[in-house]
Amino acid sequence: MISIQNVSKHYGTFQVLTDCSTEVNKGEVIVVCGPSGSGKSTLIKCVNGLEPFQSGTITVDGVSVGDPKTNLSKLRSRVGMVFQHFELFPHMSITDNLTIAQVKVLGRSKDEATDKGLKLLDRVGLKAHAAKFPGQLSGGQQQRVAIARALAMDPICMLFDEPTSALDPEMINEVLDVMVELAQEGMTMMCVTHEMGFARKVANRIVFMDQGQIVEDDAKDAFFGNPRSERARQFLAKILTH
Amino acid sequence: MGYQWNWSIFGSTVPTGETTYLVWLLSGLQTTILLSLSAWLLALALGSLTGVLRTVPSKPLSTLASAYVELFRNIPLLVQLFIWYFVLPEILPFGLGDAFKQQLSPLTQQFLSAMLCLAFFTSARVAEQVRAGINALPRGQRAAGLALGFTLPQTYRHVLLPMAFRLIVPPLTSECLNIFKNSAVCSTIGLLELAAQGRQLVDYTAQPYESFIAITLLYLVINVVVMGLMRIVEARARVPGYLGSK
Ligand SMILES: Nc1ncnc2c1ncn2[C@@H]1O[C@H](COP(=O)(O)OP(=O)(O)OP(=O)(O)O)[C@@H](O)[C@H]1O
Ligand SMILES: [Mg+2]
Repeated sequence: MISIQNVSKHYGTFQVLTDCSTEVNKGEVIVVCGPSGSGKSTLIKCVNGLEPFQSGTITVDGVSVGDPKTNLSKLRSRVGMVFQHFELFPHMSITDNLTIAQVKVLGRSKDEATDKGLKLLDRVGLKAHAAKFPGQLSGGQQQRVAIARALAMDPICMLFDEPTSALDPEMINEVLDVMVELAQEGMTMMCVTHEMGFARKVANRIVFMDQGQIVEDDAKDAFFGNPRSERARQFLAKILTH
Repeated sequence: MGYQWNWSIFGSTVPTGETTYLVWLLSGLQTTILLSLSAWLLALALGSLTGVLRTVPSKPLSTLASAYVELFRNIPLLVQLFIWYFVLPEILPFGLGDAFKQQLSPLTQQFLSAMLCLAFFTSARVAEQVRAGINALPRGQRAAGLALGFTLPQTYRHVLLPMAFRLIVPPLTSECLNIFKNSAVCSTIGLLELAAQGRQLVDYTAQPYESFIAITLLYLVINVVVMGLMRIVEARARVPGYLGSK
């Protein structure tokens, strides 16, 4: 579904990504982790073309992201993305947040979009808040709306960039529960997260990044059981003691 | 003080006899309002476009927009007015300059030059506000719009600009007030707007205090109305749960 081949990226002379390669097959859940500044966000943003990269190829469902002829908007409309800071549109009601892209991008009718949006809102347990505005919801609620907004586009896969790291601890689980459910339904997911409980529960593979390189790309059990690199061992020791 | 107050001058007829001084004053007010409003609408349109271009990823476009802003912001308003009115008609190609001078009435020439001058001057300042508004939004908003499949123009239209404009209502209000005040400069090319009519009144009636008090009050009324309107706009556009609103 997502194929990343030898991707490198630099800002001026600063190398952010060096020769990164990995795959996410249909129905798989990949967790990407690593220390701050290791390039996780950059890598995941390359997948839907939010960040350009200088060499290598990324294909999503057979479409090359780096190809200048690719209609990036169209590709992005099929790839859901969830951000650390939710990024709901503050001037729109929750319902409008859920429907606007369905109407403006996919060309669905207002009624059809509302129907779909409210169904998904119900699914993330927030049906009662349809008429509110993002600023009137808690962080955890906003993030669940953001997930529903992405799902409303019927994405072929979902990208998550630290979806819980801006949340208060008591709100993390309500978001993770939604993500676990999504994973169990067979959604293809690439998640940047340090929630190792989530990784243990649903991930197929763990990608560990350090200084712009993919240091480990292991099946879950191998990663937690016996990570090969010293860096990954140290990293795990650090976050698991928290 | 030996000054003879005489408030009845506004009702007395002008030397040519066809109307009163009050009507002169009101026609000046009308010109000021028409001039400033039309210039403001054009400035908003041009300024929004330029402000947006300053924030797009394309380097040539944003450079072009910066050059536009620097050009119209850094030349004194009075100089710009003289260029629009005296210089431009002489150098416009394809007979446009001659058409301007020969086919338009002097009044229309003055009004058009003044309007374009105020509009372009103010648009550069509006552009700066629009750019600041867009840049004040969280960076993730643009990414979120694009990630949903919006094109860049759609992202501006539906995501960035609605919030950016809400943020900049206060500075835009003062730009709008400025355009009314700046319009007084246009009396220098002979346009009979409010300030020019005021001066004319002084010349004809020799009652400077009454005349200046009258035009001061009229400018004050304009100010109050503009601020009132902008406050209504602000209240209408308030976002629930955002920035101190409830
Ligand atoms: N626009 C930019 N210009 C220059 N350097 C940048 C830019 N954006 C990111 N970087 C650098 O690229 C590196 C990788 O950033 P990235 O955000 O991908 O890291 P990350 O792994 O997601 O970190 P975090 O866990 O803090 O989110 C960092 O060192 C960062 O400083
Ligand atoms: Mg990051």
